[in-house]
Amino acid sequence: MKKILFLNLCLLALSWTMTAAVTPTIEVPLRFDDYYTYDMTVEALRALHRAYPTLTRLDEVGRSEEGRTIWCMTVNNPETGDALEKPGIYVDGNIHGNEIQATEVALYLLNYLLANHGRNERITRLVDTRCFYVVPIVNVDGRHHFFADANTSSTNRGLRRPKDDDNDGLLDEDFPDDLDGDGNICMMRRRDPHGQFRTDPEDPRLMIRVKPGEKGEWTMLGSEGIDNDGDGRINEDAEGYVDPNRNWGYNWMPPYVQTGSGYYPFSGVGLKSLAQFIMARPNICMAWAFHNAGGMFVRGPSTKAQGEFHPEDLRVYDLLGKEAEKMVPGYRYIIGWKDLYSTYGDFTAWISNTMGIYAFVGELFARDQERYEQKPDAREIDPDYEEGPRFGANEAQTRDRLKFNDHLAHGELYRDWQPFDHPTYGPIEIGGWVKMSSRLPAPFMLKDLVHRNAAAVIFSAQQTPEVSLGLIGTEALEDGVHRIQVRLVNGKAMPSMSHLARQNRLYPQDMLTVAGDGITVVAGGRINNRFTGDVSYKEHRPELQFLTVPGFGVTEYEFLVKGTGTVTVNYTSAWAGSRQLSVDLK
Amino acid sequence: MRKRHPWTLLAVMGLLTLVPVMAQEGETGRYHNPAEVSARLKQMAQAQPEVAHTHTLARTPGGRELVLLEIGPEIGTMPKRNPAVFVAANFDGLVPLATEAALHAARVLLEKAELRNDRTWYILPVGNPDAAARYHDRPLALNSGNDQPWNDDMDDRIDEDGPDDLNNDGLITRMRVKHPEGEWLPVPGEPRAMKKADWAKGDRGIYKLYPEGLDNDGDGRFNEDGTGGVNMAINFPHLFPFGKPGAGWWAGSADETYALLQFITEHKEIGLTFALGRTNFCRVPPKGGRKGEADFNKIKIPEEIGKRMGLDTTRTYTMAEIMEMVQRFVPPGMEISESMVASFLGLGAVVNPLPEDLKFYNELSEKYKEFLKEKKLDAKRLEPAPAADGSFELWVYYHLGLPSFSLDFWTLPEPAPEKKAEDSGTGLTPETVEQMSNEEFIALGEEKIGAFLKEIGAPAQFSPAMVIGALQGGMMTTKRMAEMMRRMEKRQEAGDVDPETKALLEFSDAKLAGAGFVTWQPFNHPTLGEVEIGGEVPFADTTPPPDMIRSLVEGQVPWMFEIAKRMPRVGIAESRVTPLDGGVSRVEVWVANQNYLPYPTAMGQRCGYPAPVVVTLTGEGLRLLEGRARRTIKALDGFGTHKIAWVVQAPPGSVLTVAAATPNAWGESAQIQLGGAQ
Repeated sequence: MKKILFLNLCLLALSWTMTAAVTPTIEVPLRFDDYYTYDMTVEALRALHRAYPTLTRLDEVGRSEEGRTIWCMTVNNPETGDALEKPGIYVDGNIHGNEIQATEVALYLLNYLLANHGRNERITRLVDTRCFYVVPIVNVDGRHHFFADANTSSTNRGLRRPKDDDNDGLLDEDFPDDLDGDGNICMMRRRDPHGQFRTDPEDPRLMIRVKPGEKGEWTMLGSEGIDNDGDGRINEDAEGYVDPNRNWGYNWMPPYVQTGSGYYPFSGVGLKSLAQFIMARPNICMAWAFHNAGGMFVRGPSTKAQGEFHPEDLRVYDLLGKEAEKMVPGYRYIIGWKDLYSTYGDFTAWISNTMGIYAFVGELFARDQERYEQKPDAREIDPDYEEGPRFGANEAQTRDRLKFNDHLAHGELYRDWQPFDHPTYGPIEIGGWVKMSSRLPAPFMLKDLVHRNAAAVIFSAQQTPEVSLGLIGTEALEDGVHRIQVRLVNGKAMPSMSHLARQNRLYPQDMLTVAGDGITVVAGGRINNRFTGDVSYKEHRPELQFLTVPGFGVTEYEFLVKGTGTVTVNYTSAWAGSRQLSVDLK
Repeated sequence: MRKRHPWTLLAVMGLLTLVPVMAQEGETGRYHNPAEVSARLKQMAQAQPEVAHTHTLARTPGGRELVLLEIGPEIGTMPKRNPAVFVAANFDGLVPLATEAALHAARVLLEKAELRNDRTWYILPVGNPDAAARYHDRPLALNSGNDQPWNDDMDDRIDEDGPDDLNNDGLITRMRVKHPEGEWLPVPGEPRAMKKADWAKGDRGIYKLYPEGLDNDGDGRFNEDGTGGVNMAINFPHLFPFGKPGAGWWAGSADETYALLQFITEHKEIGLTFALGRTNFCRVPPKGGRKGEADFNKIKIPEEIGKRMGLDTTRTYTMAEIMEMVQRFVPPGMEISESMVASFLGLGAVVNPLPEDLKFYNELSEKYKEFLKEKKLDAKRLEPAPAADGSFELWVYYHLGLPSFSLDFWTLPEPAPEKKAEDSGTGLTPETVEQMSNEEFIALGEEKIGAFLKEIGAPAQFSPAMVIGALQGGMMTTKRMAEMMRRMEKRQEAGDVDPETKALLEFSDAKLAGAGFVTWQPFNHPTLGEVEIGGEVPFADTTPPPDMIRSLVEGQVPWMFEIAKRMPRVGIAESRVTPLDGGVSRVEVWVANQNYLPYPTAMGQRCGYPAPVVVTLTGEGLRLLEGRARRTIKALDGFGTHKIAWVVQAPPGSVLTVAAATPNAWGESAQIQLGGAQ
């Protein structure tokens, strides 16, 4: 028994020293000149919480498949009211394990809001009147493995839920393999006089497709790896594949319709916890999910069949999207199904349709911003080029990026071809773009990216509803009946409830109530035109009105009240908080 | 006030004495509530622990257990070597008979070892415990939701306006009230039934209809927000009906459903499922004809994508053609699958059963009819309900590609065919009436005239005395009466009483002494004033009297065992060795499905969920010259075979082992003797 205790203590000590060794101390303000691992991100959140204990709270949203914690940091000033009393802005990132700079946007936003509270007037006001929920890493296992394991810039997206991708009865049995042990999964090529590629005369690291009649030099063998399961294919069954951004509960489709959707909605246990976490915060009205890459602000609908949003909601999207485009040069504001592709069970479809929240996906990083020669017109489109127009750049662009790698990143982004003896193919060469490239900005460009995107979030936060309740006046009618007229004004672009939330009947509309000792509400309802006296009274329970205050809009109500004394008019909204006024009737 | 069925009390007393399982009297003679079912299942597991075991999958919002009974040869082991059959009952909580059928199946399986020696059975008698419990509570009302609080009317309160048993009869029926906007009227000839007024037929609406209750929250509506949240019968992922009352926020949003999604996808040994309730894939094979089918042979390219890829959007392509074209756009080495293309193009889900699968559904449907005939349970009855979007049975077929069957055990007997006036007791037809004078007609007497009025379905206000008076006073003539009769006949033919109500009324009158329908009775309603309360008794159309349970479940449950007998069984049919030169041999193995159902179904192939058959060849000193040691077979038809061949080199006289394995269709291994002396 004693022995076991001793052993445990040793292990504890060992694990502590190991953690201490891999997790450097993180200080506030946070730095944005490199990427944070999962452990460092958690440390950074703790550091922010230590530095701003009143303004922040750190909640465990849930655990992942491998038991890592998904964290949410809430920024709210308790001195100006409860979080749930203020419009909430939700921001997450890194739902795809490889799309790591999304986390840096989230951390930057937190750091920026907190550091500028009490310093910058506008940020102070924003933090005092809104509440931010920030989940820097959704796919916590994915981020961990992206850093810890060898990867390409595009691998390790999914959840760690075993799945038989190649339908051979085995699960996750053929990952890529880091043959040369450099921490990257690069490309493999074999010298082959009958190959389809030859060396680019301008840059020997590149290959170009041979034209008819030309002599080949290389055969491309795909990404670095071996045939682990002996089925004749290489790297065909890696982790999952459950795509955490196709596993959400709205318009979910099975994997034969939507690759990576999982066996059923929210089979990802961390995602399920996150959905429940969001549902418990009905004040959230705006959501941002950051991804890479492409330089896009994507709004729904995610399939054509869902139909275009109602003009009321479109006005909000267009304002925020078009402004974001300007704030982040080179990014485009687009519609998911139309300008990209259809998606089923994606996060933003769920949050907008099931929660009624306005939502954007921010696809961070446009590859053509990593330019060496600033001459975009020099780039011609050559559809036959190795990487293809959809997945990469054209020839000229790639040559340009290699120069960028050489002179601005000093070789960090590209691995030169090196010989390797492959168990199946014999002598080959391994080389190409490394893990920390292609979808990720070189670290020196990171700060610009995170700031501009955080600014787009801040702009949207400033447009969340801000409703005031005012008295238009009271008027004594006959027989002790008074007419009370009130006005609700929304000074911001976002209505107090989205049209989609009303259409899908997701939760009750804002409520306007009238109450007081010794009074009865005889009638009441909406004023259509105060000057002509055109009103629509509600037939039942006139003391309770359901309404939505439009963006940059006004709505007016009147009540016929019998009796005297203090009358309280109360407005409550899931998004816009609550307001109250009272009137004395004599 | 709560009233309880007397047989519920009896059962509780029975449990206390712990009578041995099979000997228990009255086991099939009554309906068990969810708590009793849980107790029974646990008792069964306790009585035969070597073959039975219970799993508590979830807890309902109402605090009840979702209990699954496992019966079979591999209790407590995972993964299992034998396949499993999953039986789930009463997902909407409205079919207590289905629960009894599942319980009966469990009893039979425990008794008859031959049914469960080579396979596991998972039995879930109550798929929706909160809803099912309400059948045993009063007042009796139809409510499929679990106890999850739900703001149905999106006002300021939750579950505040449920039904109220105003007349204290323990039943929630309906209220009818005369109203200027009324659009309902009693059906002539069957004044208990109501029909919607059709002005084109000369109808004038009289009543408004409401469910029995008060406007508890004063919003002008009745019973619009009672208890009842999510209905498990529509909370599954295929065609999940988002926004439909009871559907929940998403497929699997209820803990009960989520637990089942998890359990079934983790238990890959499940190869066949049954849903017991109100649908019946054997009486009515799964129907096609739904819109939105993704036909892989006729794919239209969406305009936006066509433009980008330079494809013609005015014609259709096959999946193979598109795969070939897409391949050009991806980096070398990247593999394109059908599902990637389907999701890229937004083709959507399969919504009709695949023709290959309809073959076995149709054939088994024919067999089922013969089975019922033999059991003398083939009397004509109303059609079972169509499978609902979001149901368990559709999910299993469309998303998992497993053979999914549903069974119902009772619907109301089909109503007797409409009697024509010619066959009626009075013998009066429009023709005979027309030829009579007024006096001749009056001479028939009040009794005969009364019977005649009833026959033609005259409204209640037409009493014989009134008709005689009208004829005497000249307001009515026999000629006009004949016209009226002809009009009435037409109405009757048009089916003024909907067939279900008609069936219910007939059954109620013939078998329940009228207890299936509450005759309209006046009631003074606090806000509506003078109303009448009456209508169909809840459950009367789905739940036969307890004395019918036994014969219904004992007769029909064995059909599940009949289908289970046809589960695919993968084995090795034959192997041949052909010696070539130099110690080299050609080995051929025929892997066979030795049973009727295919492995997997066509839908299973489409959705890629069921694992392939894995065939391995091993042996000491074996060297494979052609073919890998581990091979897969994607599909085997019913009684189908698939040949796999290797060219091998092995020491003379070697014995090789070939094995065909699946997670849910058994498997087999065989020894192959190579030629030559050892």
